[in-house]
Amino acid sequence: MAGKALIYIVDDEPLQRELLADHLGNMPAYEIHSFGTGEECLAALKVRIPTIVFLDYNLDSQVKDAMDGTEILQEIKSIAPAVEVVMISGQDRIEVAVNSMKHGAFDYIVKGEGAFVRAEKTVFNIYRFHKLTGTASRYRTLMLLFGIGMLLMILLVIYLETNGLISNIPGWS
Amino acid sequence: MSENKEITDLSYLRSLTGGANDKMSKYIRMFLTGAPISLQQMELYALSKDWSGVKGTAHALKPQLGYFGAKGTEELLKNIERMAGDLVDLEQIPASLEIFKAQLEIITVELEAQLKALGN
Repeated sequence: MAGKALIYIVDDEPLQRELLADHLGNMPAYEIHSFGTGEECLAALKVRIPTIVFLDYNLDSQVKDAMDGTEILQEIKSIAPAVEVVMISGQDRIEVAVNSMKHGAFDYIVKGEGAFVRAEKTVFNIYRFHKLTGTASRYRTLMLLFGIGMLLMILLVIYLETNGLISNIPGWS
Repeated sequence: MSENKEITDLSYLRSLTGGANDKMSKYIRMFLTGAPISLQQMELYALSKDWSGVKGTAHALKPQLGYFGAKGTEELLKNIERMAGDLVDLEQIPASLEIFKAQLEIITVELEAQLKALGN
């Protein structure tokens, strides 16, 4: 499984979990692991950090006092801030979506017929986002190095000029 | 609903799985195992007036019915979820659960027939 990006799926409904895992499992670049509770996901996260977590909002249908999606989202972000969390829920209430995004979710998907295709698209969007932010970061580093180089050059010229050494440089008048 | 008045319609599941019979059979079996347990949970929660339990279970089961094309039953669960969540018309929940139970029996018969047709 080396070289594959890791995706965790957290859903308390076995059928829902299996459908999503099978669908995302069609993407050969990703390794999928699924969990029935957020607590299991947090335990796994301490061993291996995934790239993406698909996280159900309501997780108490099997275990009544299970932590809910928002609590798990906050825990994930405190353990591994770089992990992208995609909330999935049967709730189509806007305040639930806003609350999830406020706590750092990358996206919010409402369960239903379009959810699996949307989940797949979100994986691509996260891949593209990481690629773009990686490129932007490299450009920033290059620009910083260029700036430092220019500054050193200017300081060198000032130093040579101040000490009357600049005329010793061939071609400099 | 299709012309022969069936509650379920597997066209979405067929398109999602690319017509893979083994996957469709797996999902049908998972539903046939899980849905009666969810119904039983909701009945127990309703008996003990644990409305948040009814809401949570209805909420979790609701989208699954949609995947099997049982849109009317999905709507029924949505209504049960709303009543239990908003604590309104609570006296109607037991009757709604009875209707759901009857529909689930029909869904079960239909899906078992589908399993046979899929060769499982």
